[in-house]
Parts: sequence; C-alpha cells; structure tokens
Amino acid sequence: MGEKITFKSFKEMPLCAMSIADMTYNHTGSWRNVRPYYDFKVSPCRLGCPTSENIQRYIFLATEGDYEQAWKELVESNPMPSVTGRVCFHPCMEKCTRKDFDQAINIPAIERSIGDMGLDNPKWMKKASATMNDKIAVVGGGPAGLSCAFYLARKGYRVTIFEAGTALGGTLRWGIPEYRLPNDLLDRVIGSILASGPIAVKTGTALGTDVALDKLATEFAAVFIGVGLMKSRPMGVAGEEGRGVERGLEFLKKVNGGEKVDPGKTVVVVGGGNTAMDVARCARRAGSEVTVVYRRTMNEMPAIKDEIEEAEKEGIFFHFLAAPKSIARSGAGPIKVVFQQMKLGEPDESGRRRPVPDGDKTFAMDVDTMFTAIGEEADASAYGKTIDVDGALIRTKNETGETSVQKIFAGGDVVTGAASVVEAIAAGRKAAERIDRMLSKQPEPAVEEPRTISIENINTAYFTKSKRTLVPRVPVEAALEGYREIYTGFDDELLHRESDRCFSCGVCNFCDNCWVFCPDVAVKRLAQEYEFDYDFCKGCLVCVTECPRSAISTREEGR
Amino acid sequence: MKKVIMGNHAVSYGVRASEVKVISAYPITPQTQIVELLSEMCAKGELDAKFIVVESEHSALTACVGASAAGVRTFTATSSQGLLLMHEIIHWAVGARLPIVLVNVNRAVGPPWSIWTDQNDSLSQRDTGWLQIYCESNQETQDTIVQAFKIAETVMLPVMVVLDAFYLSHTFEIVDILEPEDVRPFLPPYKPEVRVDVAQPHSFGNLASPGEYFELRYMIEKAMEASRDVVRDVDRDFEKRFGRGYGVVKPYRCEDAEYILVTSGTVASTARSVIDEMRAEGVKIGALKIRVFRPFPFQEVYDVLSKAKKVAVIDRNISFGHHGIFFQEVKSALYGRTNVPIVGYIAGLGGRDITPKVIRSIAEKAINDKHPEPDINWIGVKI
Repeated sequence: MGEKITFKSFKEMPLCAMSIADMTYNHTGSWRNVRPYYDFKVSPCRLGCPTSENIQRYIFLATEGDYEQAWKELVESNPMPSVTGRVCFHPCMEKCTRKDFDQAINIPAIERSIGDMGLDNPKWMKKASATMNDKIAVVGGGPAGLSCAFYLARKGYRVTIFEAGTALGGTLRWGIPEYRLPNDLLDRVIGSILASGPIAVKTGTALGTDVALDKLATEFAAVFIGVGLMKSRPMGVAGEEGRGVERGLEFLKKVNGGEKVDPGKTVVVVGGGNTAMDVARCARRAGSEVTVVYRRTMNEMPAIKDEIEEAEKEGIFFHFLAAPKSIARSGAGPIKVVFQQMKLGEPDESGRRRPVPDGDKTFAMDVDTMFTAIGEEADASAYGKTIDVDGALIRTKNETGETSVQKIFAGGDVVTGAASVVEAIAAGRKAAERIDRMLSKQPEPAVEEPRTISIENINTAYFTKSKRTLVPRVPVEAALEGYREIYTGFDDELLHRESDRCFSCGVCNFCDNCWVFCPDVAVKRLAQEYEFDYDFCKGCLVCVTECPRSAISTREEGR
Repeated sequence: MKKVIMGNHAVSYGVRASEVKVISAYPITPQTQIVELLSEMCAKGELDAKFIVVESEHSALTACVGASAAGVRTFTATSSQGLLLMHEIIHWAVGARLPIVLVNVNRAVGPPWSIWTDQNDSLSQRDTGWLQIYCESNQETQDTIVQAFKIAETVMLPVMVVLDAFYLSHTFEIVDILEPEDVRPFLPPYKPEVRVDVAQPHSFGNLASPGEYFELRYMIEKAMEASRDVVRDVDRDFEKRFGRGYGVVKPYRCEDAEYILVTSGTVASTARSVIDEMRAEGVKIGALKIRVFRPFPFQEVYDVLSKAKKVAVIDRNISFGHHGIFFQEVKSALYGRTNVPIVGYIAGLGGRDITPKVIRSIAEKAINDKHPEPDINWIGVKI
C-alpha cells in the first residue's frame, strides 16, 4: 500500500478504472500554490474588554458544559466575574460581531452565570501557597486593589491589603446599591479572592493617616495604590453646605450599610453618572418622588444606558440642560433650589458639547433633599509627597501602573479619575503582572498588534437570526419595594441558549466544517484540534470559505 | 407459449426472461410500452426487479450504471432524443465495463420534431464502444434481449438492441414467449468478479494518468474484437437450445447473386419479398441483412459480397458530409480486398415508407446505372 504500481501484463490490470491500492504515494499537496493554516484571531469582544477577558473561550467552554474550565479561563483576567457580570458597562457587547448580524451576545449575563458557579464551587479555586519571599502591600480594598492582590497571591507573593474602611470592597460595597450588587454576593466574591492565596487584610488602616507610603515602600518589595477617589467634589453653589443638601455617595453608603433613610417626599439629584442613577433609584425606593437634573442632555450622560432605562422605568423624572445656581432655606420645610437653564455649546476635550448658561433663564424647585452626584476627586495628601501626581491623580508611566518611584505602582480611579470597575480590575491585574516580572526579573513580553475579524469575515450563511437572551428580572413594582437584586440570572437553559449564539469570531470551536468539506480528506480531526495534511492539501481553500468564523488563514507557497 | 404481441412488448418479455434486477427508464415515444409493461410486471411480481423512476434519460442510464456497478443485471430503454441525452453516460458504461442492455427504438432526431423511424439516433452512438444489434422481427427482438445479456456479461461491454419505430415497435406478431426458468440455464444469474461493495472498498471511475488510460482503451477494443466470436457462439447456443438463430448477418439468395441489396432492420423483410419477385423474373439478385453492426462483421460481409457484380446499400440514415453510414461501413469492409462496385441509396428518413416499390426502384437503378455512379443516391426526394 502507498506505493506506485507498475503493471507488467494486462492480466494485472483491473477491468476498468478502479482503485486497487491507495494513492498516498502521490503527494498531491505539491500542486498547491496557496496554503491554508489554522490561525486563530482575537475576537473583537476581547479587544473591547478593558481586562481582555477571553470571552470567546469561556463561552465556548460553556457551550461544551465545561463550566469549571470556563470559570478558570475567566478568572485568568478577572477575579470577580460575578461582580462585573452585574455592574460592568460591557463595552465587549459594543464590539460583538453579532451586533452587525442581529443582536450582540449577552456577554455579561454569561459572565455572571459562570462567575456565580465559581462561587458555588469553591474547590475550583486552587489556593496558592506562599512560594515567593517578596511581600507586597496593596493599598485600597476596592476592585483595583483586590484584583492586584489576587494576581500576586496566585503567583505565591505574600500580599497585605490595607483598607481604610471597615470592610473590603470599596466602591463595590459603598457605591453600588444592593439591587445591582447584593452585599452577601460581594462578601462571597471577596472571600473567594482572599482564599486564592497568601493575602492578609488590615482594615481601618488609611494611607497617610494610619500608615505612611514611605514606610510601606521600605517594608514591602512593592506597593500598589488603588485607593480610588475619596473626596466628594463641591458644586460651588451658594448654600450647598447646609440642611437639605447631601452628598450622593454618603447617602449610598448609608443605604448600603443598611441604615434607614428618609430623604423626604421630593428629591432632586444633580448629576448624570452612575452614582446619580444609583442615588435616584435608592431615593425612589425610600419612597421619594425623584427628579434627576443634568446640565447636558441624555446623549451626554455618562451613566450606563441600562441604568438610565431602569431609572425611567422606576418612575424617575429627568430634567436636562439645567444646573443648580443657588439654594435658599426658610424655616424647617423644603429648600428652594434655583436652576440655571443651560444650552449646549462647543465640544469640550471629552468630545461632548459643553453646557453653557442659556441667558438668564432660571427656574426653581422646592425639594426636601437635594443630592449631589457630580463626581469625586482624588486626595493626594496621602501620596503626593512621595510620587509624582497630575493634579490629585497619580501619574503613571504606562498601563502597568509604574509610578515615578520604582517599587510603587498605582491603578484604578486614583490614576484615571472616575472610570469603571472593569478598568480598575484591569489596572490591578496589569500592575500585579508587572510587579511579578520586576521581582522575578522576567523580561517584558513583546507586544503584538492583535489580529481580529469583523462581520465581513463571518460566513453568515451558517447562522440564523435570533434575539439576545435577556436575563430574567423581577417586575418594576416588586423591585421598588426594597433593595433586592432586580436581575435573577440565567438558568442552565438560558445560559446555553445565549452561549450557542456566539459566532466564536476568529477562533475554532470544532464545528467540523473544514473536516467535512475538505475534498481531499486533508483535514485531520484530532482530539483537541484539526491539522492540515499538507501532503494532500491541494490548496483549494474550500475550508477557508466554509469556516464560518474565519479561523483559517492562507498564505502563498514559496513566500 | 405463443402470444400475439407488439414489438415493444417482445422487448419486455425478453427482459422478463433475462430476470433483470434493476430497470430504470424515462418514457419516450415510441419505446414507452416497453417500460410500461415492465413496470406492470414488477408491480405484479412477475419480475423481481427494482424499477427506478427518474426525471430524465441521463439519470435513467446513470441509475443503471450504479446498479450494474453494484453487480446486478440492469436494463433500460429509450429512443432518439432520450438516447442523445444519455450520451455522456453511454460512454461511461463502456469505460466502466458495465454489461448493461439498452433497447433503442430508432426514431428520427429533431428538429423538425418527428416520432417516426430512422437510424441516425443509434448510429450517432456508433463509436462509443457499445455493441449494436439491429432486429427485424418481434421474435428476434425478444430472443436478442436474452442473447444481449449473455454477450454483454461475457465480454463486459454494454449492448444496444435496436428496433425500428412503429414498423417493429408497434407491429403485432406471434412470439414464442421465453420463460425465465427455461432461459436460466442459458443465462445464469450475473455474478461479476468486481463490484461496488462496501466490504471491499475501491473507488471506481477514478482518474487514470496517461500511463494507464491508453491501456484501458486498448482493452476495450480487445474486448470488442473478442465479442465477434462471442456474438456468434451465443447465437449458435441459443439456436441449439431454443431452435431459433439469427446470425451475425443474414444473406438471402446471395449464393449466385450478381446484385446484392444490403439492408438492416425491418427493411430486410421487405427487401426479401422484392428479391423473390425479381428472382421470379430471372434477375440474379440477393439481399444481405446486417444484424450485428458493432462489432462490424467484416469477414461475413466480405464473404457474401465479394462474389457479386454490384452491391447496393440502402441506408435509412445519413452522415452529413459523408454517406449513408451502412454504405461507409460496407465499403470499408471490402476496401482493398475486391473491386466490386458499391453504391449507396438513402431512403425512408423520418419514417417515410420503404415499400417494395421503393426497394425495387433501388434494385433497378443499381442494375441499370452505369458505374461509376454517385456515392449518395437519394431515393424519393419529391421536390
């Protein structure tokens, strides 16, 4: 078999053209002038994710029912998928290729399901032992600090988290209401992170007042600062200090701490970000009639769109193009807030059109409480003398969080200003990886421009249009009765339904198409992959055309 | 048992007697009754065969190719345009060495549309490697089907049995019906040495390089040459067993003939009556029917014609730009071996009657015309 046959007589010849041995001696692959090769790209969703979650991979593993591997894949880049699955602004979905076909995959819902399974299966988390001698200080127990601690502990570093508050979590604990992120869930998430390796926690220890940065820098091999933004920004409005005006974050802290709150019958919330939405919705739950006043329009609101929609559903009023001008109090009753009418002017440095006063048009509202939610600021007093700052924010050299002092790193809002949970997680992870490389004297990895795909590279003939699977929720009326979580999450069936919608952009998911279509049987199907048999691949590229997800590339032979 | 049946049904009885296992056909006038009766036989259980209904003649013959390759006896019937639609697979059956038997009822090719007889459809398949046998009577038709399977399965080439539209296909004659149990010892079940069999996987009809194709073609021609003896022997064996033989060619009163008319198909019968008539008048004339056209019976034709003073070939066909096709063939059979003058006559295209009067006019023209004469003599052109 497999050798060329030479007939010596007509008796040896078959009667008609038929195979009498195999033709494997004939390496028809030599006819090829273009070669297909498996070439997995980076899915656009992953490029959209600030912490580079391997979304395609964990969704694929979920479709295979291998949740443990899916979870492990997920925590490679995010130690708290249960959190981000609930509160992230999911820029991944903006990049989802399926968005250009029907509707983007509900990535956060899948992320949340897998994350929650990890919490339900604590054995999936292998606790790392302290294999490294270096001790690291992580200052701030919010998402950036927790992320940094997690990735360092997994490498075997001894980590100590210094937290100013009474419990870990930072913004997650104090800034996000329970109907979006329940406290008990957050406790479990933090518990799982602390269980991942040698992490010690010192609460009630504020940087600057309780422990000095210089001292940490001497005692620890590296320091990571992720203290976030601690100072509320004043509005600069006459009368803002006094009865009836409250910082939105303070209010959220009370609500999240389980304190009973009563902001009164009529409430106005000033601001357009997520904190404004959270404050408004908490006040609504406390029984108030709530109006959000924002100085620009809905288009410019920095809040997550879903949160704005939820707020509207819950009966919150919006008043755009207005900013508080003055506050007057008379007796013990409601306060009178005078608003300046605004209009949109030229775009500012953020690209959004700047609000400018619309002449002298004003209006007044009588409210029981006015909440301010116009953002927070960093407080540089704790670190400003040791490392370089930009205003009050810490200046870093790059996205690995290196500061002006070699062993001090920083990440999260204290570097970027008000940003997102996932960006803080990413900053913490990248700093941890950099600290590890620094301490173990590994070279910096070469950065390659990721290759990705778009809808043009998808063979859409293989997909039927379907709607995004929505996460089940409690009805608005029931949601408003308290602070219970609104979205209840996917069950197994919904998880599969939504996971199955994933195109698996640019990455093989073992659909068998190449193997089925190859007319030369030149695709070998191995246990975990396919392989081209270049002895027989003629380069017809049927595989390339029929690969629904562009996981095969080509290159000309001899080049 | 004797029955009065039409020529088409004589085909059906021949197929029944041959215990064919797969039949696939598409209806076309004037052959439709062949497969109509066969489908009835299948439905009634008189014939244990799979009747595959298809959407075209191309598919019909393709189905036969598949079935035959799988190792069973297969049959199809067609005519004219249907045969031409089969053309690609006509070649395939030969290259694949499949002993399929096909009946073609000679029908003129369109346009203009015609359902009446002439031989251009079957003769256009002359060079494909099929054996061709032209029949003259209903009895011969039935018997030839059985012989055809025997020949085909011996030499592993397909055989085309040809009969004239209407003059034979729709004419009723007495036929001694062959019964399968009587035929079985003569034509045992088909058991090929190689067939498509999942237990012994091979690919068939695959690519052959210039290093093999040539030899495979050579083997086809060798099989065709070998079939000369097979055709003769099968006819003799058949005659011994059933008392009826037909020969490769059929000479009639040719022993001392000065003039010989060469014919094929039903024209042969008409010609014989003209021979008798002219013999009675003292003309030394005979007739030669060519029954087996492929392989062409060079020796038999030479043996009969070489003694004549003049040969007249009647063609119900025309090779445009050349001559009548039987004329060409006869001429080439005698070339370089004898100087007997051979003249061609075209008659009866598109089903126009070739009556005794027409044949007599050809005979008289052949006798009276001084040689050399034109190679093509059109008989009965009216305008």
